Amino acid sequence: MASNKVYWKSFDQLANTEVSQRLAENEFAQDIPVDVFLSEASSSDSATSRRDFLKFLGFSTAAATLAACEQPIIESVPYVVQPDTLTPGVPSFYSTVYTDGQDYASVLVKTREGRPIKLEPGDSARFNRGTNARAQASVLSLYDSARLREPSLGKKNSDWPSMLIALKKSADQSRAEGTQFVLLTSSVFSPSLQAAIERIRQGYANFQHVEFDAVSQSNTLDVWESLTGVRALPSIDLTATSLVLSFGSDFLASSMAQQVSSDYAARRKPGSGMLRHVELESNLSLTGSNADKRIKIKPSEVSASLAYLINQLGGSAPSVGLRGDLSKALQSLAGEMKSAKGKTLVLVGGDDANQARLAAALNGLLGSFGTTLRSDKPVYIRRGNESRLANLMADLSAKRVGTLLVAGTNPVYFRADFSKAIAGAKFSMALTDRLDETAMLCTAAAPIPHFLEAWADYRPAAGEYSIAQPTIKNLFNSMPLLEVLGSLSGDLRSAKDQVAASAASLGLDWIKTLHDGGSTVSSGAISGAPAAAAMAMAASIKLAKPSEGLEIALYENALGAGFQANNPWLQELPDPITRLTWDNYLTMAASDALAMGFENETNSDGSLDGSYANIKVGKRLLENVPVFIQPGQTAGTVGLAYGYGRSAAGKVADGGGVSAYALGILTGSAKVEISKAEGMHEFATVQLGHTMMGRRIVNEVNLNDFVSDPSGASWNEKPTFHTIDGLKSAEEANLWANHDHETMHMWNMSIDLTSCTGCAACVVACNAENNVPVVGKEEIRNLRDMHWLRIDRYYSSDMSKDRAAEENIGGIEMYAQMEEPSESPMVVFQPVMCQHCNHAPCETVCPVGATVHSREGLNHMAYNRCIGTRYCANNCPYKVRRFNWFNYITNEQFADVNPSQDDFGRMVLNPDVTVRSRGVMEKCSMCIQRVQYAKLEAKKVGQPIPDGAFTVACAEACSTGAITFGDVNNAKSAVRSAKSDARAYHLLEEVGTQPSVFYLTKVRNA
Amino acid sequence: MLLAISILSITAAAEVSADAGKKLFKANCASCHKLDKKLIGPALGDVTQRRTEEWLLKWIRNNAEFRASGDADANALFAEYKGSIMQAFPALTDDDIKSILAYTVEGDKKAAPAAAPAPGADAAAQAPAEGGNSPWLIYILGAFLLVNLVLLFRVRNTLKQINGENPTNLLEDVDFITRVLIANKRFMTFLTVVLALGFLYAIYSFLMGIGIEKDYQPVQPIAFSHKIHAGENGVDCNYCHSSARHSKHSGIPAANVCMNCHMYIDGSEVVDASGNLKYGGERSPEIQKIYAAIGWDPEERVYMEGYEQKPIQWIRIHNLPDLAYFNHAQHVNAGKVECQTCHGPVQEMEVAYQYSELTMGWCINCHRETEIKGENGYYAGAIDGSASISDRLVDRFHEEKITVANIGGLECGKCHY
Repeated sequence: MASNKVYWKSFDQLANTEVSQRLAENEFAQDIPVDVFLSEASSSDSATSRRDFLKFLGFSTAAATLAACEQPIIESVPYVVQPDTLTPGVPSFYSTVYTDGQDYASVLVKTREGRPIKLEPGDSARFNRGTNARAQASVLSLYDSARLREPSLGKKNSDWPSMLIALKKSADQSRAEGTQFVLLTSSVFSPSLQAAIERIRQGYANFQHVEFDAVSQSNTLDVWESLTGVRALPSIDLTATSLVLSFGSDFLASSMAQQVSSDYAARRKPGSGMLRHVELESNLSLTGSNADKRIKIKPSEVSASLAYLINQLGGSAPSVGLRGDLSKALQSLAGEMKSAKGKTLVLVGGDDANQARLAAALNGLLGSFGTTLRSDKPVYIRRGNESRLANLMADLSAKRVGTLLVAGTNPVYFRADFSKAIAGAKFSMALTDRLDETAMLCTAAAPIPHFLEAWADYRPAAGEYSIAQPTIKNLFNSMPLLEVLGSLSGDLRSAKDQVAASAASLGLDWIKTLHDGGSTVSSGAISGAPAAAAMAMAASIKLAKPSEGLEIALYENALGAGFQANNPWLQELPDPITRLTWDNYLTMAASDALAMGFENETNSDGSLDGSYANIKVGKRLLENVPVFIQPGQTAGTVGLAYGYGRSAAGKVADGGGVSAYALGILTGSAKVEISKAEGMHEFATVQLGHTMMGRRIVNEVNLNDFVSDPSGASWNEKPTFHTIDGLKSAEEANLWANHDHETMHMWNMSIDLTSCTGCAACVVACNAENNVPVVGKEEIRNLRDMHWLRIDRYYSSDMSKDRAAEENIGGIEMYAQMEEPSESPMVVFQPVMCQHCNHAPCETVCPVGATVHSREGLNHMAYNRCIGTRYCANNCPYKVRRFNWFNYITNEQFADVNPSQDDFGRMVLNPDVTVRSRGVMEKCSMCIQRVQYAKLEAKKVGQPIPDGAFTVACAEACSTGAITFGDVNNAKSAVRSAKSDARAYHLLEEVGTQPSVFYLTKVRNA
Repeated sequence: MLLAISILSITAAAEVSADAGKKLFKANCASCHKLDKKLIGPALGDVTQRRTEEWLLKWIRNNAEFRASGDADANALFAEYKGSIMQAFPALTDDDIKSILAYTVEGDKKAAPAAAPAPGADAAAQAPAEGGNSPWLIYILGAFLLVNLVLLFRVRNTLKQINGENPTNLLEDVDFITRVLIANKRFMTFLTVVLALGFLYAIYSFLMGIGIEKDYQPVQPIAFSHKIHAGENGVDCNYCHSSARHSKHSGIPAANVCMNCHMYIDGSEVVDASGNLKYGGERSPEIQKIYAAIGWDPEERVYMEGYEQKPIQWIRIHNLPDLAYFNHAQHVNAGKVECQTCHGPVQEMEVAYQYSELTMGWCINCHRETEIKGENGYYAGAIDGSASISDRLVDRFHEEKITVANIGGLECGKCHY
């Protein structure tokens, strides 16, 4: 009996799982992938002998030596006639409007040598000014090599005259035969396009214009149309709001999120009167993660909850039974709402008619109309009508449509049954940016310009008019819809002339309007919704009991509806919540996963796998959907993102994820049946740890504590060290000599964690500004993402050191439990880039001095000196350094994902930033090209740099103003005052790195 | 400028002479007129035959007034040239105008061809003058020494024979000396060290020279001479390379910038060293390349419509690698560095070449030595109550001169990002 004890290292080993077996076989998991490095797929089975190899080696060395002696002849070709508005090397900026069928934003486009390379928020205060991740990425979509280049008629290449003749012939024939001529688009809110459509209507009695939105808002629009007489959604005004109650509305990630999140952040400046935000939702959304209080409910409970609140607040709505804990939570919310009457805003997500009616009634009851919910200032960017689309599909199937013109949308992908219906059209033409699912089934397909190539005008909201101008000549043989329609109605004006006429009819000065990107115009009186009518509407509805079974709620991540699915920047952008890339998946609560046998497994190399599920909604089945276990997911619900599962979008998007549209859910949620499928799905995640493990990485404080202790002593404790001279702060106790940071500039960055919503526009902006390579799903799975800026997401855990001490839980057990996020976790986001330490651990270990400190407080990285030892990355406490494992722009392994591998994609590269090669380290440079440019501009005009004269790409992209950048040696700079704020702290301050980046403590109004 | 021209014209022409007229013509008329062909205005070679002197005096003095007076010929002329307006010259005296007219009659006097030596003779005459340090002299000297050596050896052998000793063979002698030297360890050590050092130095020089393209002087598609433009005609560098002040690129001028001058100057009047018309009175074939690029019809003096323009494909001389960021505006505009500091005596270059090494050592040496322009408002201006950068620099460096290096001009990230 001496020793038959078996020691096991983990539960996995005890259970003898596959992973532990593999680990035991090969402790240091991975072989060095030599064949991959040599980047030839066939090298492992080639017949190359060692002798041949040496021959090649000798030859290539000799060739390289010879080549090095002779410099290649480089030509330098000037313009023949140089445009006088252009100086090579100096950027030009143009105001325009970003629209992609889903979003709308007023932006400024930066062009270099005639190429748009970056979208920026601009400075004129137009409607929804600013950029989200999709807007930032859209400049790359311009250079998508999968775009349609030439018109094609009956699968044969054609030209525009033949296309227009064929279209006109078909339209005329339909008119003669008495069949319909239908134009199918997403929402049209362009005055000149509406006028062009009107002209067609006059020429063709059989003409119909059908609008639909990829992610439908049709039912909600019906409700508001019946209340106000205008088919438009009300705008929301957070500046007048003190309590937001949101039922699954992801308003911080919606199409108007730039304006809303800017107001949201402004209203959530810590202090008394801070906006309170309560979210009741099933999926853990970006908006829900920012909420002060989050309540988990099922989609089918929303109507009942709204009705309950209406009844609590003195209205009359049909009452339905609710689970006890929910009604209790709602009761306390009703109390809050009563005291904030007139300043409360109730929002609902999805597109359920009853929910929309009840929310309208509740808002009316709370006096929100005209204050927080501006039905008198409607937004026109959603106008879709699903009943008209359904009629069209019926007409198509009955062969009553002679001519179908689909423009700028993709109904075959967005609507489950459209592929069958479209065959019923006698002649169909797709005006499209690519040969997508719809265009493939059409008789003819023709390219339309990208928004950066075309003239357009918009009326996004009441009182707003804006003009979009081209910033580059058409890359391909495309024609704007305005001109195509013009050719049918005999209006041969160019798109620009049509837009100019539209602006002139509003009495606007063309040059000024063009310069500002738009103008405010009179909108005429729009009467707001009457509260009584809303209540009457709510009182008459019939409510079903909340369902017991599983429900699915669809949501949008950074890819949105999927118009830009083939954009690798968006595909590689980690989802803010799940931190997964290149995929969509079924988010599921841990308890449901356990009950149904779904698993998530972390492999020995750190990668994540998940089981597959088959899901069934009604008669529609979606197979092999990977399951991701999501903390905070309401039990009994699952979530699935729109926009994936493309089959004809291009090589980046095709085959990634599953199409949520295929489930045919128009209201955003439905009952679902789920069964387990065989196999495991390989996820690509960028974050493995989910909690802070008891450390103070994100400092957080409750509003009450913050207000009661403005000095921050109790909630922002600075680490101290015992030294021979007594206790010293991390800043004072240091081993190194200080740099001279007083003489020149000292660039610092402040990141306000209260304002940061985690939307990730900054990440894409950084990619665009700094030529950050796209590496593809495989490499992300290997944890080799290249993003210079990441947004860490932390969940709270139920375990804490205090609780462990109280309950007498041991260290190992405590840490094991700390790793597990709560079932209803609090969520914090923290953008982390190079912290530009003034005592940088990376600098001291670099053997070749490739990373050195500047006297302006920045940590420089000289790529050409770097020999790739990666000591710096190992020694970086913030893990912000990225290594170029491959030459991403030439290695054919990345040909499908890296846009810089083709001539079009390369056009988006910022010419002021080096494209890094294999074997070098890179990291955030604090946009040093912008710093240097700003200093030069100041010297050219002979002025000191005023605070706010320039900023870095991430700060510029941020709609909430969470990131502030500037010179702390400027006594009045915003960043200097932020640095002396009681909320300021450095990340891992106790390490003594003295970073130039600091964070402002998150304040939660809980 | 106009005033200066007027003063010049008054002082220069005291009496009527074709020489004075030539000067006046060049100063006042040549931008629109030539003697032998139509430019913007008509050819003036035979103008005195076409018009009376009195008519010409009125026209040249103030043609607008003259036309207004209702002269039929003047108005017809104006109509013929589609209303191109000719400037008035109220400052020209009658004598001045007569001088100009005298010049139009006389034309450019050609130097007598016989006066110039034949090209072959010219080359032969120049050769000896350059032969001062010709290698032939050294060869002759070497041969002379060799002959001396052999003679001395023979003399020694003769002396030895006289003394009755055996005469030695030359080869044996060399053999003996070699053996002695080989046996001498110190010598051999010394020789080895010298050879090794020499070898290493040769390799070092070779390796350090890789990628340095100093004196790189490619053949350009147009035989453009900076010497003629920047040197002889004193055109400011910034006139053509205008973006050097604004942009990172100095910019190669677009063909339309060339046309600002070459619309009028087509090279037909260029004379060579001997005073002959270089192109025999024809347009310069090099300047015609610009016309071909931009589509200028020099006969009709119009840009051809629908012409497919062909950009001029210059060969880039200064090729900084992509990893180094260089900004011309920073140096030219903010740093007030002369173009010649880096580009050398461009105004003397017939064909442009790379003057500097363009190595990193060369860059940072300059950054170490060059003082910043502290008077620039960027340094000197105070903002928002903070001390100006100039004040802070003086606080730190006191009386030392403040170089680019002192403000961080040697930091990697200033040029590499």
